[in-house]
Amino acid sequence: MIYLDHHAAAPAPETVRRAMQEAATVAWANPSSTHAAGRASRRLLEAARDDVAKSIGATAADVVLTGGGTEACNLGIRGLAAGRVRVVTSQVEHPAVAQSVGRLGTEGREVIALSVVEGQPPSPAQLAPHLGPDTLVAVQWVNHETGTVFPIHEYAQACRQHQAHLFVDATQALGKVPVDVGALGADAVAIAAQKIGGPAGAGACWVRRGLELQPLLDGGLQERGRRPGTPDTLSMVGFGAACRSIGDRLAGQPRVTELRDRIEATLVQLGAVPNGRAPRTGTVSNLSFQGWKGPLLAAALDLEGVCLSTGAACSSGLQEPSAVIRAMYPDEQWRAGSAVRISLGIETTERDIETASGAFRQILARGGA
Amino acid sequence: MSEVKRVLVAMSGGVDSSVAAALLREAGHDLIGVTLHLWDADGEQQVGRCCAPEDRDDARRTCEHLGIPHYVLDEREAFRKNVIDPFVAEYQAGRTPIPCVSCNRTVKLTYLADVARRFDATHIATGHYARLERAPHGKLRLLRGRDDEKDQSYFLFGLPQSTLETLVFPLGELTKSEVRKAGRRLGVPNADKPESMELCFVPDGRVGDFINREGTPTISGDIVDPAGTVLGRHEGVANFTRGQRRGLGLGGGGTRYVLRIVPDTAEVVVGDESQLYDRQLIATDAHWVGGRPADALRGEVRIRYRHRGALADVTPTGHGFKVRFDEPQRAITPGQAAVVYRGDEVIGGGFIA
Repeated sequence: MIYLDHHAAAPAPETVRRAMQEAATVAWANPSSTHAAGRASRRLLEAARDDVAKSIGATAADVVLTGGGTEACNLGIRGLAAGRVRVVTSQVEHPAVAQSVGRLGTEGREVIALSVVEGQPPSPAQLAPHLGPDTLVAVQWVNHETGTVFPIHEYAQACRQHQAHLFVDATQALGKVPVDVGALGADAVAIAAQKIGGPAGAGACWVRRGLELQPLLDGGLQERGRRPGTPDTLSMVGFGAACRSIGDRLAGQPRVTELRDRIEATLVQLGAVPNGRAPRTGTVSNLSFQGWKGPLLAAALDLEGVCLSTGAACSSGLQEPSAVIRAMYPDEQWRAGSAVRISLGIETTERDIETASGAFRQILARGGA
Repeated sequence: MSEVKRVLVAMSGGVDSSVAAALLREAGHDLIGVTLHLWDADGEQQVGRCCAPEDRDDARRTCEHLGIPHYVLDEREAFRKNVIDPFVAEYQAGRTPIPCVSCNRTVKLTYLADVARRFDATHIATGHYARLERAPHGKLRLLRGRDDEKDQSYFLFGLPQSTLETLVFPLGELTKSEVRKAGRRLGVPNADKPESMELCFVPDGRVGDFINREGTPTISGDIVDPAGTVLGRHEGVANFTRGQRRGLGLGGGGTRYVLRIVPDTAEVVVGDESQLYDRQLIATDAHWVGGRPADALRGEVRIRYRHRGALADVTPTGHGFKVRFDEPQRAITPGQAAVVYRGDEVIGGGFIA
């Protein structure tokens, strides 16, 4: 099996699996309990929090551990929205951000979704006219489907100038570009374990010191009152272990980029059309194939042992055409329905790329009339 | 099934296709489960809502149980264009269409054939109650399913030989109770699921409401007797089909039946049951399973799915055929399929003009 869906979930490395196995004997205890069993669990939880904080240049006390990236995004966005009348976002956000912002819209706030035509993110100058002390900016750092890198540092500067609040969805950025929340100057940043080889049910929302953050749920004072409910120590141990691999992941980017460029060149020769050429991470190639539907091509590849996806949201197995690609190419609707996403990680080998290219070649030959 | 490489199984999430898959799996075939998403279910009804998420889940669960891959493929556009739009237009024109025939021919099996090619599968299996048999001259013959009550060969007359060559009907030799039994024996998760009898996209059977939602509102008009005397008003021609007795809203004067619908004036003509009987029909857009017969033939003709078939002389014409029944038949309805059988074999079919 060739795995080329790292943007959905990066495979758990040995270090993560071992750390979770070893922790399992202790991590069941409630880390809020004051007795010895609780303390043992809490020690693991806080060590994990240290690792998570360190991976993004943060102080541990400012990291709220959550049940995954979607919760972290919701917490950051809803938490920061109090007192703001306007939300500025992009048209290509992950549903965790897009739908969270959408709800703020239905609750009466003005929502401005800036376009990302052909994968070109809005410039800080396009952002600036909408900014003010009553504005929340909620944007992603790296696009989940195309790898498009947003100029997030410049956004942060513009937001500071206009006293606007900034939430950054860094779930696809972590491990692909250096993330340093201290240098960034945002107000809240969301990350997820699953994208760096940790378990799916673990995420974190970093919040700038001194900011009040309304919790999403009622029920307890855990995580300094910002996230009620018993923290999942075992998942957090996995998250912490995964965060210790960030250095290796960043160091591996040039090689990953080389492999990505290679398979993309091969597929373009076979007729594929790349989506989103703007500055992007080296981990992903998003391509449209005329005469194919994305889910059909992804299924045919799966049957030949290649795992990848269309990148679009999916319920009960039904995949809608990608909203991201539709927004990036409003005048070329065929692209969204026929797009697949190949996403690589540091585990990807040259042989994987060759085998996958061969499978594409074989399958594409069956298509057409 | 000689030289079978991979078999694509069409999975609706219902019992029949699930058991079809389970039987092929038991026989050791390499299977791929495919669910076509054709229509967005709506309404509160839990059973028989078309392409509902719970049906996709059932199909997926069955495939997981069988250890085979399962994919959902979106063909809503093709279904709307080739099935729903013509369905609405037919009703507006005063006919009673049979969408399952065009769905099988122009959407389901055509599209699955394309998918099979792209998946490198040699065959397509469905849960239809019908059988295929190789004739001495080499062509395939389409036969009734062994279970008289469930037989679905009526819906399949339009399939070309090239499609029949790829098809496998694992339930053709079985009765419904045998299918349920096989489902339980093989641990199929939904073996006792109830089945729907209505059109998949009109689960409540209220076609008029459906047309009002999906097309231009159905045309209202007068209810008249054969002499043209106005007896009342109706709320839309799509609410009526030939032979219908209920829902006319006429008080007194004995039981009356819909005799015909006049699309130009939106008149619904009603009369006595005796006026519903005809000896002849003309069918258009014919398809002959084994090729067009050179001469007139004797056979049984079914004029709707629940019609048992009646002896008749069938004469092929240019693109259709003429039927003369030995005995007059009740409510021969424009838009329905007339399917010609000789014994168990489907000779061909067309649409009643």
